[in-house]
Amino acid sequence: MPMGHTATAQAGSGGLTATEHRLANGLRVVLSEDHLTPVAAVCLWYDVGSRHEVEGRTGLAHLFEHLMFQGSGQVKGNGHFELVQGAGGSLNGTTSFERTNYFETMPTHQLELALWLEADRMGSLLAALDEESMENQRDVVKNERRQRYDNVPYGTAFEKLTALAYPEGHPYHHTPIGSMADLDAATLEDAQAFFRTYYAPNNAVLSVVGDIDPEQTLAWIEKYFGSIPSHDGKQPPRDGTLPGIIGEQLREVVKEEVPARALMAAYRLPHDGTRECDAADLALTVLGGGESSRLHNRLVRRDRTAVAAGFGLLRLAGAPSLGWLDVKTSGGVEVPQIEAAVDEELARFAEEGPTPEEMERAQAQLEREWLDRLGTVAGRADELCRYAVLFGDPQLALTAVGRVLDVTADEVKAAARAHLRPDNRAVLVYEPVEPADETDGTDAHEGADK
Amino acid sequence: MEYHPQPTAGEARPWAFPAPERGALPNGLTVLRCHRPGQQVVAVEIFLDAPLDAEPEGLDGVATIMARALSEGTDKRSAEEFAAELERCGATLDAHADHPGLRVSLEVPVSRLTKALGLVAEALRAPAFAESEIERLVGNRLDEIPHEQANPARRAAKQLSKELFPATARMSRPRQGTEETVRRIDATAVRAFFDAHVRPSTATAVVVGDLTEVDLDALLAETLGDWSGNAGQARPVPPITADDTGRVVVVDRPGAVQTQLLIGRIGADRHDSVWPAQVLGTYCLGGTLTSRLDRVLREEKGYTYGVRAFGQVLRSTAPGSSSGSTGAAMLAISGSVDTESTGPALDDLWKVLRTLAAEGLTDAERETAVQNLVGVAPLKYETAASVAGTLADQVEQHLPDDYQAKLYARLAETGTVEATAAVVNAFPVDRLVTVLVGDASRIAEPVRALGIGEVTVVSG
Repeated sequence: MPMGHTATAQAGSGGLTATEHRLANGLRVVLSEDHLTPVAAVCLWYDVGSRHEVEGRTGLAHLFEHLMFQGSGQVKGNGHFELVQGAGGSLNGTTSFERTNYFETMPTHQLELALWLEADRMGSLLAALDEESMENQRDVVKNERRQRYDNVPYGTAFEKLTALAYPEGHPYHHTPIGSMADLDAATLEDAQAFFRTYYAPNNAVLSVVGDIDPEQTLAWIEKYFGSIPSHDGKQPPRDGTLPGIIGEQLREVVKEEVPARALMAAYRLPHDGTRECDAADLALTVLGGGESSRLHNRLVRRDRTAVAAGFGLLRLAGAPSLGWLDVKTSGGVEVPQIEAAVDEELARFAEEGPTPEEMERAQAQLEREWLDRLGTVAGRADELCRYAVLFGDPQLALTAVGRVLDVTADEVKAAARAHLRPDNRAVLVYEPVEPADETDGTDAHEGADK
Repeated sequence: MEYHPQPTAGEARPWAFPAPERGALPNGLTVLRCHRPGQQVVAVEIFLDAPLDAEPEGLDGVATIMARALSEGTDKRSAEEFAAELERCGATLDAHADHPGLRVSLEVPVSRLTKALGLVAEALRAPAFAESEIERLVGNRLDEIPHEQANPARRAAKQLSKELFPATARMSRPRQGTEETVRRIDATAVRAFFDAHVRPSTATAVVVGDLTEVDLDALLAETLGDWSGNAGQARPVPPITADDTGRVVVVDRPGAVQTQLLIGRIGADRHDSVWPAQVLGTYCLGGTLTSRLDRVLREEKGYTYGVRAFGQVLRSTAPGSSSGSTGAAMLAISGSVDTESTGPALDDLWKVLRTLAAEGLTDAERETAVQNLVGVAPLKYETAASVAGTLADQVEQHLPDDYQAKLYARLAETGTVEATAAVVNAFPVDRLVTVLVGDASRIAEPVRALGIGEVTVVSG
């Protein structure tokens, strides 16, 4: 099969390799050497995310992630941050629907410290976790929610659209940040139980990438992580499978104090890890990626009805992925005019498929994104964990770009035809209100939750 | 689990900030190049000496529209064709105008560097500035303004500039113009600004990445080497002055669940010998979540997701220039706190500053800060884009090419007393202008009660 236009001989992988190991307690380890810069990245993925949360406790996985930085058996208070930063390293953690990750990038000679710190909290977090940390981080997370979602225009669009696209009771119906009420309701006992259930070596993948001696690194990992007992208390997440298409158009109109009308939509797409998902990624890129895409050319350049118009892809492995449309209108333009143009472009694309030039552009853009992601040791460590946790094989990270370049125009057209249709989307329309009108309903629903 | 003692560090491998090779093309373009093995995505930064204060009276935003118009068509390609060709290279191109000048940033896989740099050269040599495209960009910019007004952080930044700088200074007004000034911009104005300020002899290109397979001289000759222009004239650079009389301005947002804080003034830039001490002290004050501000405001009180202190150079001039040292940096503390906690959070923030002034930094704090600021350098400069960005910053701030490399040694030599003096001077409690974007009906009174300066309320 002919490959697309490639930038490097071994596109993306650039000759990178990774080795896999497993400790007796079930901890999976992935190592990848790269001696160009004296740095090493440590990345730890726990196979737990917001999809594992139960009703009434949304946001717990993310709140718990914060508690992982509040000390452990041998580490006081903010010691994780202090020790890593004091060693010239950088660190953080993030929580998504499907996993929670923790990462440190260290100067090579400080690698052992990062491994010791991660092992200490994996093995002994509960020795340090107390009410004071819990109360403090509850307030911090509530302020994170206000800052990132509640106090910015359109800030809750993602949450609203996710709630529309995945039905009530579905594990992806709520987003990782959780609700204020549930954050208030979470208890120290909930956090302790969460740790006991999900934070175990056999529910995690550890990757170390960069200027490392693999034998020495593996010996340190064995030393620090090897004595942490495994346990099997984990329940699998609720089933996230859904029919291939939604089957009707879901819709919500939001009347809020926002600067302009907006049309947003989420299309139900194939699961991450499939060839169809890569084909959908290319379709979204041709339609709405960058400044030469069909929607940008139509709405921003030619019709001049939008300030910005684009598509994004939220890749998900345990539920259908989402194709994310975001159009902010220009001046007094009304949403129906935008919507008609979007539908026309999508229908035309499903009919014609991409031109050879469009395929080349979309593949070149996605290839460069992969080069960026694999171009740093931290990015590579994260991708190795991702493929190990979600798809059981870290090596897939090194060949991912090849798979995107292997997709044909016919497959892209087929993906668009099957999924980018009006009866397979949840639509969110923003209609601005003046500050004075604030009282007349900020959350009007039209035809949602059918 | 079995506990093990905390491990000690191994032997550090030497690392130095890369030294670029400096040269020039026959057309006068200065070129800095830097080979970074393994970096397959090459970064090119082009600095154009077209500062915002060169914008004609009443045409604020013309530099921004010109920057955007550079990628909207040339003598050979329409706007759509240009964008398509660039994306066919897998490239990203960004151009933005700021106080020191205009920056064009290209990132592209090395295998397609020739093609992409050719497009950038075409944009600089012969931009179309078609009337229809300029009209579109002006309309688009006008549509963006309400979005920026609605964003609490952007709104706060705009208000702080207005408060600090005299109304006649370009720095007091939004970088990308106001509705009134942007509306006046047309293709003629854009062309005139380009003709007056864009030329190779006052521009610098920085090229960073894995250049093993690249004949950069030949490549530059056939791309940017084709660009021509006259010599240009030196422009006087006005000094930067600011009114930092301690005061509070509340930008009213009825119903806001949080208050956005931005507390600032101006201070020393990188030409000042105090810079390393100021960097160190500012890090100890608010560089990370274990710094003094977040230790109290976040980790003890839970008032915020995070508050940061920083210094950001606004504009610098060459040290030998006739106007003397006229550069300055914005020194600021920013973050957001829940509405109810606004008064208590500011009270604690001022306590942190007063305690710092009274008791100074500790040796341990200074040591941790040095370890972090110096130690993270190899991580921070792993990609070509990060190296190119810093080299271009040095160029636009008239600093020597080895500035960043030497800064690390100077940071390591800076003592606790110097760092304390620098940060206390940078953030004196009675010379700070505080902007609060939030619900005035709930925050104005508690803030007045703090006595941190006169409180005025303006509409959102």
